[in-house]
Amino acid sequence: MPPAPTLSDPRFAEIEGHRPYLMRYALSQLRDGQLAEEAVQECLLAALEGVQGFGGRSSLRTWLTSILRFKVIDLQRRAIAERNQVELTDYAAETGDEGWLDQLFDETGHWREAPSAWGDPEAAFEQGRFWEIFEGCLDKLPAAGARVFFKREIVGEDTEEICKGEGISASNCWVILHRARLALRLCLEKNWFGKEASSR
Amino acid sequence: MEKKPPPVESVDCRAASRLLSIAYDRKLSAVESESLTYHLDRCLMCRNFDSQLKFLHRASEKYRSGNG
Repeated sequence: MPPAPTLSDPRFAEIEGHRPYLMRYALSQLRDGQLAEEAVQECLLAALEGVQGFGGRSSLRTWLTSILRFKVIDLQRRAIAERNQVELTDYAAETGDEGWLDQLFDETGHWREAPSAWGDPEAAFEQGRFWEIFEGCLDKLPAAGARVFFKREIVGEDTEEICKGEGISASNCWVILHRARLALRLCLEKNWFGKEASSR
Repeated sequence: MEKKPPPVESVDCRAASRLLSIAYDRKLSAVESESLTYHLDRCLMCRNFDSQLKFLHRASEKYRSGNG
């Protein structure tokens, strides 16, 4: 067990508040919960030690992510050296056929449930509750979908880079992303923008 | 209004949703974007989906920086 961080540091709570985000980032890169946990732990400790040097030119989250990135790369190297290869997940369910689209579109190719207009959706950004729902929706994605979506849309990695890292073809990458986006919009519509959500 | 001929390849909502998503990951071909535009001009549901994808993209950016 690493030593406990200095709880007296005023930035502790603020840094700690970014842990869920950092955990998702680490999981998207490492696939292994235990390794991801380790990376985040090391990152938070390094952040507490180095917080005086943080000048506030970028957001705290951006700064923390840059520390985490190094920890992740380091752990990846160690994992590859120790276990030869990080295990690959099963992509059969994610790729191959696009049969899952049948749940969303009918035989004639029309939406089964029409996407509605969300009005002024960006007003949601100001509300903490929205981000909880957003994270909840991310967590409901299938593992590969969550990982690829996180790398592509949140980290902003290159599609080619992602495919290489995941060991899959570009077209499978697009299928996974298409599915993830459809699932996310459905989840947000149900839980935030939709009639069901607003009548609550 | 000028009448444009229908595109070489026509797409339904299912295919349009695919193209709208792919457009975030690679450049669409001329044929693809022509078919997509033609479809979007005529389909409110897919225009809504288009806006929702934009929103997802913006939300992801916000989420990356720590959403303030």
